[in-house]
Amino acid sequence: MNWSTISEVLISAVRMATPLLFVALAELFSERAGLVNIGLDGLMSFGALVGFLVCYWTGNPFLGVLCGALGGVLVNMIYAFCTVTLGAQQIVYGMAINIFAPALASFIYRIVFGVSSTLAQATLMKTVAIPVLKDIPFIGKLLFDQTPMVYGVYLLVIVTAIYFNRTKSGLNYKAVGEYPKAAETMGINVVLHKYVACMICGFLAGMGGAYLTTCYVNTYSDGIVAGRGFIALAAVIFGRWSSSGVLIACLLFGFFDALQLRLQVGTDLIPYQLFQMIPYVMTLVALTIFGSRISGPKSNGKPYFREER
Amino acid sequence: MQRNKIWNLLVPILSILLAFVIGMIIILCLGSNPFQAIGYLVKGAFGSRTNLANTVVRSMPLIFTGLCTCFAYRCGVFNLGGEGQFLCGSMAAITVALLIGKSGWWVTLIAIFAGTVAGGVWGLLPGILKTWRGLNELITTIMFNYVATLFMGYLYTTALREGSVPQTAPVPEATEIGRIFPGLRITWGIVVALVVGIAMWYFLFYTSKGFQLRAVGLNPTACRFNGLSVKRYMLAAFVISGAVAGLGGACDILGTQFRLISGYGSGYGFDGVAIALIAQLNPIATMIVAYFFAVLRVGSTTMQVGTGVPTSVVDIIQALVIIFAVAGTAAMHLPQIRSYLQTLGEKKEAN
Repeated sequence: MNWSTISEVLISAVRMATPLLFVALAELFSERAGLVNIGLDGLMSFGALVGFLVCYWTGNPFLGVLCGALGGVLVNMIYAFCTVTLGAQQIVYGMAINIFAPALASFIYRIVFGVSSTLAQATLMKTVAIPVLKDIPFIGKLLFDQTPMVYGVYLLVIVTAIYFNRTKSGLNYKAVGEYPKAAETMGINVVLHKYVACMICGFLAGMGGAYLTTCYVNTYSDGIVAGRGFIALAAVIFGRWSSSGVLIACLLFGFFDALQLRLQVGTDLIPYQLFQMIPYVMTLVALTIFGSRISGPKSNGKPYFREER
Repeated sequence: MQRNKIWNLLVPILSILLAFVIGMIIILCLGSNPFQAIGYLVKGAFGSRTNLANTVVRSMPLIFTGLCTCFAYRCGVFNLGGEGQFLCGSMAAITVALLIGKSGWWVTLIAIFAGTVAGGVWGLLPGILKTWRGLNELITTIMFNYVATLFMGYLYTTALREGSVPQTAPVPEATEIGRIFPGLRITWGIVVALVVGIAMWYFLFYTSKGFQLRAVGLNPTACRFNGLSVKRYMLAAFVISGAVAGLGGACDILGTQFRLISGYGSGYGFDGVAIALIAQLNPIATMIVAYFFAVLRVGSTTMQVGTGVPTSVVDIIQALVIIFAVAGTAAMHLPQIRSYLQTLGEKKEAN
């Protein structure tokens, strides 16, 4: 493997890590408010469809991403109502979203394009090179010649880190996930925080899904998400519930995804399915080595009833 | 207590009705007649002996994956790996059947056994990761699903491929699971499914081991203080639920599908989860809901041909059922609604 191949793989790794990063940050915001949302795959697939459709009709990928994000919010409101207001089990509801949202997405796609249709294609978001910085050898092409979505997500990582660690509002937010009863007695509106958390989660997860159909491939197909929501879930645990940790985890998982794509092209001797297993197997390996017995926010996954003693 | 039982039954039934109403509204919005569409659906499922048999055939794998989820969740293990375990069962069974060749019923038994073991092993792996390293099984079982699906891809495109089409050779005729009625596709696999379901129901609710297993699911901390080995029960739940799914895979490939092809078994795992949740983790109810799902699936094909409404409307109806059913059950436990129901009951008693 020569120099140009390595840089090619790394560039593709940054590209593959972006959707994971959006969705992992979504989960981070959700879990910091004590809501485990395993419906990320579902939110992504709905975001992917809405993003694709809007992009297909208007030709504007940015509008597509925005609408995909709003679609994610819409679907996640079902989760929010049932888990926060009704106190239903979060795991079960995440699963319900995982079954409902892809079905809805595939149904809408079939309604729009007919049951058996030719592949519809939309425009892809163009990369925007940052002048001067892009001319730095190696790093320039890697970091400063990507789509605006990539810049946006890295900005988001920094904003998230500052928000959770350096602002009062961020500490309040974290308190909701750690000890909601204490937060409530200090005058923090727990239910409101949880609803806002669900909106942010839906928004970012929908964005991550829309990235797949507006920046990565220009078509929509069922199963396009391919378990990325669950890999993002693993990235949050692996990254120990901090945005910098999540960034490293997503880059690592993105790298494995890029590597398997590159290796598939390389050889005929080894069946390509074995390479395709790499991201999934490496997620397992990474979790086995680093991810054990670290607990996240204290009240993660527990329903909160205000009147309960 | 009595009232609780009635509500437990009423909530899923109301959810199904509500989901159907929404499904019909969607059909109406598409410009089709919803009653005509439902008519096609019923005709497709029950219109002839063959169709009726098809619903039974279709329900068999769903019963197995539903029971797999049901058993694991009862022990507090959220096994989402039903699909991977099901596929491992199919892969092991067909590999054994093809390797030994056409020799009769004992090969069938060995193949079914191999499938069950393979499913159990595929369930054991996330079990070990959970008990040994504390890894969340929600993530690991999904990862194992993808690995199993890709490995199946390797089998039908490379290792066991036959001819130019990417698929394996069919199971030899002598090792197929026999049909109960001549001319209909129903095999003895459905009998196996029913026996497993009833045995699971008996084990969970009428044996002391089953009681302990459920206790671990309800409150692991209390069980630890009472001297139960929580880890051992969880591992057992992983292995047995995996084995049930594997057995299902073996019965499906040897009785219904005969060969591995692209897309085989996809969706069975999540369907199983949905079924078990709607059935509120009761094995008997799981089998009934699985049959209901199969009716929807078989009928929806006829509906698509007849009215042009895509079959995925059935997926939406299914998802709505679980959304309503779980929300309904959760709402029943809310303090406000509980006290309201109580006052309602007291009023009745006063009268």
